[in-house]
Amino acid sequence: MTVFKNYIKSLFLLELLKGLRLTGRYFFAKKFTVQYPEERAPMSPRFRGLHAQRRYDNGEERCIACKLCEATCPALAITIDVEAREDGSRRTSRYDIDLFKCIFCGFCQESCPVDAIVETRVYEYAFEKRGENIMTKDKLLAVGDEHESQISADIAAQAKYR
Amino acid sequence: MTDELVTIEVDGRELKAKPGTMLIDVTDAAGINIPRFCYHKKLSVSANCRMCLVEVEKVPKPLPACCTPVNEGMKVSTRSPMALGAQKGTMEFLLINHPLDCPICDQGGECELQDVAVGYGSDVSRYSEAKRVVPQRDIGPLIATDFTRCIHCTRCVRFGAEIAGVRELGATGRGEHMTIGTFVEKSVDSEMSGNVIDLCPVGSLTAKPSRYKARAWELTQHDSVAPHDSVGSNIHVHTRNNRVVRVHPKENESINEIWLSDRDRFSYEGLNSEDRLTQPMVRKNGEWQEVEWQEALEFAVKGLQSAAGSDGDQLATLVSANSTLEELYLAQKLTRGMDSGNIDHRLRQSDFRLDGNDSPVPGLGITIQGIESLDAALLVGSNVRKEQPIIAHRLRKAAKSGAKVSFINPLWIDLHFEADQFVSTPAVMVDNLASIAKAASAKLTGNLAKLVKAAEVSETAKSVAEQLKSANNGVIMLGNQAAAHPDYSLLVVLASAIAEATNTSLSYIPALSNSVGAALAGALPHRGPAASLVEKCGANAQMMQSKPRKAYLLMGAEPGFDFWDPSLINSALDQAECVVALTAYHSESLASCADVMLPIAGFAETSGTLVNAEGTWQSFNGLVKPQGDARPAWKVLRVLGNLLDIDGFDQNSSDDVLEELKSHAAETAIDNSVSTKTAGELNSSTEGLYRIGDVPMYASDALVRRASSLQRTNSAEPAAVRLSANQAKSSDVEEEETLVVVQDGNRAQLPLIIDPRVPDGAVWISSALPGTEKLGGQFGVVTLEKA
Amino acid sequence: MKILNNPLQARNKEEIFSEEIRQDIDCWIAKYPPEWKQSAVMAALRIMQDDNGGWLTTELMDDVAEYLDMSPIHVYEVATFYSMYELKPVGKHKICICTNIACMINDSDSIVKHLKKKLEIGFGEVTEDGRFSLKEVECLGACGGAPMFQIGRKYYENLTPQVVDSILDGLE
Repeated sequence: MTVFKNYIKSLFLLELLKGLRLTGRYFFAKKFTVQYPEERAPMSPRFRGLHAQRRYDNGEERCIACKLCEATCPALAITIDVEAREDGSRRTSRYDIDLFKCIFCGFCQESCPVDAIVETRVYEYAFEKRGENIMTKDKLLAVGDEHESQISADIAAQAKYR
Repeated sequence: MTDELVTIEVDGRELKAKPGTMLIDVTDAAGINIPRFCYHKKLSVSANCRMCLVEVEKVPKPLPACCTPVNEGMKVSTRSPMALGAQKGTMEFLLINHPLDCPICDQGGECELQDVAVGYGSDVSRYSEAKRVVPQRDIGPLIATDFTRCIHCTRCVRFGAEIAGVRELGATGRGEHMTIGTFVEKSVDSEMSGNVIDLCPVGSLTAKPSRYKARAWELTQHDSVAPHDSVGSNIHVHTRNNRVVRVHPKENESINEIWLSDRDRFSYEGLNSEDRLTQPMVRKNGEWQEVEWQEALEFAVKGLQSAAGSDGDQLATLVSANSTLEELYLAQKLTRGMDSGNIDHRLRQSDFRLDGNDSPVPGLGITIQGIESLDAALLVGSNVRKEQPIIAHRLRKAAKSGAKVSFINPLWIDLHFEADQFVSTPAVMVDNLASIAKAASAKLTGNLAKLVKAAEVSETAKSVAEQLKSANNGVIMLGNQAAAHPDYSLLVVLASAIAEATNTSLSYIPALSNSVGAALAGALPHRGPAASLVEKCGANAQMMQSKPRKAYLLMGAEPGFDFWDPSLINSALDQAECVVALTAYHSESLASCADVMLPIAGFAETSGTLVNAEGTWQSFNGLVKPQGDARPAWKVLRVLGNLLDIDGFDQNSSDDVLEELKSHAAETAIDNSVSTKTAGELNSSTEGLYRIGDVPMYASDALVRRASSLQRTNSAEPAAVRLSANQAKSSDVEEEETLVVVQDGNRAQLPLIIDPRVPDGAVWISSALPGTEKLGGQFGVVTLEKA
Repeated sequence: MKILNNPLQARNKEEIFSEEIRQDIDCWIAKYPPEWKQSAVMAALRIMQDDNGGWLTTELMDDVAEYLDMSPIHVYEVATFYSMYELKPVGKHKICICTNIACMINDSDSIVKHLKKKLEIGFGEVTEDGRFSLKEVECLGACGGAPMFQIGRKYYENLTPQVVDSILDGLE
């Protein structure tokens, strides 16, 4: 009996038609792929992309060199050197994130007591030369300056969950 | 109080304790943790933080464990709901005014308040009003303050009153307005002030030199030994990225307890000085050139061989007693291997007449801890408080429990305990001691017998002799200024005779960290390893300088700053054919006279051993890599030994060197016996104006001279001529006038300061300071001229 | 050989204060055992304050410290702890007004307001002519006559703005 059943199945290509039915259903259904880069997928405010350092409204950098991000970083991607600035305040003289090491876990952002280091929605970046993978303090601040409105909007959106 | 123990129960555990002991001491010993802030085992109990509240059965309210004596049958609970509630409440109150600035606080990560808040506090505060803010105060270059963080435990205040002996910090104001500080604009100047940094349970008092340099969790802690005074304080060196970031005391009850002098704590800054020599340097045609090690070593060996190869006596080796035991041992081995006996570490001594009859291994002769149980002490030529702060601290403890301490000094010194001071010009110091010898009817012969016979016995001399005689446990200590005294031999013999007559012991307070070790290693012209007398006695430090040799080997010593008579050593080095200097620093004073400078590792960069004043051998490891191309001095000496074809230079590690020395000297103990009863004529005179040249606290060695924060303290005063008001009047000079000091034909221009500490007939010009590096001996006749 | 007093503490006790003041302070020192000489610090400060027109300078406190063989900071602590020692100049008449509960319920606030307006000064300040200074104090123990204030050593009770005016006008 089983032999007969299998014979019929293979004679009329039933298995193939079954598969084609699924293909056909999706062929006519509404498409959910996006046409990157013309189209973008929606993003969560919690998205963890390229890092940035933020400033206060008066232009003062937020980072106070407490080194909590350095301590919490599971990939040891952050390196910080501290010095007292001329006005006596505690500031970083070096703040490097090695993007090759970074695993984008977001712990640095979690640990930051002054919301200085954040992960932005930026994910389109590439390196062409050695050394470009190191995000220096200046680069981080530049990213922050560029995306500040988005960053602060995201932080505001998340405020009640933190 | 009886010796019987009482039984108490803490958290269900039965503990035995002496009745009257405070509960917190009992629980600490048993390993039961009770949170605390104001309580500290070395300080008096003030019970003001209320953090250590515990529940005691049948007592309706929680009691502070730090001031609750134990009683038979007491049942204590440290974790009952009442105790926990009390602790939580206290914690909440303490945090009301404490700022949330842990991220920028240097104490963050090693903060008692953080730890206790996590362990015993609540997770949120109900306090939402404004917090108290205290204005910033500057209390000197060593301690950074932020009294907004203060929780008023008053440990620092009690430290000042009880340990440092000067009450500099106080708690002014009341209630919430209470602040710690000096009230008036003033720096904290105690020589032990840095300890308040360790005592402070929060970040109110932190170290200024290491401010913001590292977080606690980034540091690696290493054990080491402090490299300055002869106490050999145990320390923790904290390093990060191959750099010494800070130094903390390591608890060692028998040496430094838990304290550390500021010099030992902050001198590490000198390690990273710009002066560090990082590459071997050779003088070619009068120009200094950086060269490779190979070339420099060959240059040095060629120089040494051509100058002293045929006549060993032409080689003179002068080593600093701050070098390690291994380095000193190899240096003497190298010198003796070159068929020379000319090696000495006593660079600050000028009177060597006692050599041969001197104490074989001069040291304390008692333990450092034993100083506390003295009944009487006579210190000769010692500013012990500045020179060996930990020994002074022990002496202070002895004095507080009734010991009679007297000083025979050339200068009045600022002391933090009760003591009689007999101050006179250097020549009269000898008479003063002779007078005590007479009062004690000490047995002396020859010259000294005459001197003692001629001495007048004053009432005070009698009382000192009486104090020493009646003491069960008395010492006569000879300090740094005695060793530099032109009549050191007289002082030693007199002191040893007095010690014998009064049944007390003779004691030396060695000046440098390895002075005792130098004697054990044989870095002396007349004594080899284990302080055995050698057959062929070499030239002592003085002779090596006064009769110039062709070749000099210097280790760790700077001609202008580490010698008794800078002018003498400079002229000797100038006449030499070859001067090889092993040095960690590129100093002007070396560059002007050396031919080769070999960079050696400094403190914390080399492994080695130091022997402290009581004779304890303390070894340590190299903790950070030497800067640049510098190498540990023992390695440099080993290679020099090899290149000079001397046998016995094939050690592979500093441990090998130590083992080799131990086979000679492991059993050699401190020996202060003096085998003579007489000494030569008096060198010092009462004629003319006599210079007293001490070595200031922060100028004692090359490392501390480059510690920038210490150099900015009030204790690091620039060189000056100091006269008493009377003397200034009779010399017809006025305050702040610039004077020309003339000593043995050498001249220096220095400002005049009127100082009541100087006796009439003397002038106080400290040595080892910039401005005095061209002058003559530490003691000697000077004339003053108007500029 | 002779024992000298340490020249670092060069000043003789006689040089520190005038004869009269020394007698006053010594009288207080005599009340305590010799080793507890410093117990006289409060009395000594009070004597110095009265002598100096009602307030203490740092120099005066240093003198007291030296006279009683204490460290200066110890004296500062005492002087800053007690509110009756003044560390800033005060007026000829020091008005100490109580604002604790009994006085407050009896409307000491209006007295304070009136005084501030009349003298044109706030707490801790001195009038331009140097006649009055105003100080807020805790309960002076005269709650029965609340609201009250103290001027110099005299208590004035059951105050109203009118009474205050007449009191102040009556003063020199």
